[in-house]
Amino acid sequence: MLAYLQNIAVLFCINAMLALTLNFIMGYAGIFSLAHAIFFGVGAYATAYIAMYGTDSLLICMAASALISALLSMALALPALRVRGEYFVAASMGLQVIGVTIFSEWKSITGGLGGMIGIPRPKLFGYVFNNDGMFLILAFVMLLIVIGITALLVRGSFGRSLMAIRDSESAAQSYGKHVNAVKTISVAVSAGLAGVAGSLYAFYMSFINVESFMLETSILLMAMVIIGGTGTLFGPVVGAALLMSLPAALTYLPFLPPSELGTIQQIIYGLAMVLLMMFRPGGLVGGRSREKSA
Amino acid sequence: MTSAATQHEILLQIRNLNKNFGGLKAIQDVSMDLPAGVITTLVGPNGAGKTTLFNLITGHLIPTSGSVHWLGKPLKGIEPWKIARMGIARTFQDLRLFSQMTVEENIMTVMERSSWLWQGGRAAAEKRVTEILEETQLADKRHERAVDLAYAERKFLSLARIMASEAKLWLLDEPASGLDPRSFERFVALLRNYAARGITICIIEHNLDIVIKLSDRVAFLDQGKLLAQGSSQDILKDPHLAAIYFGDRS
Repeated sequence: MLAYLQNIAVLFCINAMLALTLNFIMGYAGIFSLAHAIFFGVGAYATAYIAMYGTDSLLICMAASALISALLSMALALPALRVRGEYFVAASMGLQVIGVTIFSEWKSITGGLGGMIGIPRPKLFGYVFNNDGMFLILAFVMLLIVIGITALLVRGSFGRSLMAIRDSESAAQSYGKHVNAVKTISVAVSAGLAGVAGSLYAFYMSFINVESFMLETSILLMAMVIIGGTGTLFGPVVGAALLMSLPAALTYLPFLPPSELGTIQQIIYGLAMVLLMMFRPGGLVGGRSREKSA
Repeated sequence: MTSAATQHEILLQIRNLNKNFGGLKAIQDVSMDLPAGVITTLVGPNGAGKTTLFNLITGHLIPTSGSVHWLGKPLKGIEPWKIARMGIARTFQDLRLFSQMTVEENIMTVMERSSWLWQGGRAAAEKRVTEILEETQLADKRHERAVDLAYAERKFLSLARIMASEAKLWLLDEPASGLDPRSFERFVALLRNYAARGITICIIEHNLDIVIKLSDRVAFLDQGKLLAQGSSQDILKDPHLAAIYFGDRS
């Protein structure tokens, strides 16, 4: 039972990190990306490759994952950020499809559909995180670090620039904001931290394949942000907690047939999203009314 | 006329400016100067090209031909954010406030010259925000979101942002439209105050009260052409221009 709860807690920390990083661009910069799972995946594959064929050092693997994800996101963001709103959503969906194809087909690096097996547990200053309890502490500390970085960024001048761009790009430009630079940096920070979450995931699972980085993951992360509260600091954490605990909670309801749990879960997610958008568009942590009509 | 207007230093120089949108000539061979400390009002019927002229000055549109010089430097090809940092700021007819941010954040973000985490002069910036809030009578709305403000308050927040920008040239697009008489008087007083401090102001305005009460100079545009410029009395008394303004082209 303890192992089961520890498992849920570690996965909650990883998903909360992902939701926080997605919210950083979605809630604060107004960049709605459906490709977040790709940067999560890039981080996971980078760590898996380095840990299996190079070093199992936690710091080196995480730094490399963050760097590769951030650089890749910048290369992709530069052309994609020229389009706005729903066009960016469509562009990011295309990116998601390309990413999944590469993960599945680039067998020499990603192991193809079979994925990568036998990723060693990480080492930090000589300590190997073989114990799941210690890994939970590591995941929790990483979550706190991501919350800290996000808070630092969104509550300062960078966050104000992001929000100004989200609310009116032309007005932000007219007051001296370098819109493309701020957006590109925000996407890189978001992807870099998602890469860190991917690194943690690869180390924890010791096996990864493309199934974890599909469009469904990107949509689930977006649901966590929206349900928790877009543009709020702790909303994504609440959203992640809810959506991660829901499958576990459903298994305790004896009248639900186990074979239908997945379907019921999807219906509940969908229903929750519709009801929230109708009655609390700001999400659980956000306000009752996100926007008053101008 | 403001005392600064006598200095006659030309801040912005527009020469033979043209802007075509396909077959439509939105701006046709416009040449004009904006001297330091002078309040210039652009008047003309809808579709005259007034906002297009603002967009050409601020880099939101690229001229088909002609030039705009700021303090002697050509602005062609310079991005809007760089032009803003050179000292030209603008407001928008539809305000474009940072709607989900608070009043204070709207002003603070305009004052921040970069997006770096660590900004110097935090105490001075906060003092300036307080001054601006008091000048615009928005002090009690400091922590309210822009989207939750009343219409006149939004107008004043739009003005507060440009006050915070420390720009030398303000381009104001219909800043007083829809204001009640009391707010209107406050608004005129504020603009006069800033013009007296040496700010150069160019206003697009349909409200003839503003034209008469504020303008040092009036430029009359119609169908993209600059038909006349001069004192407000000269322009408003011209029966030909009045006929165009009120839609009688016969």
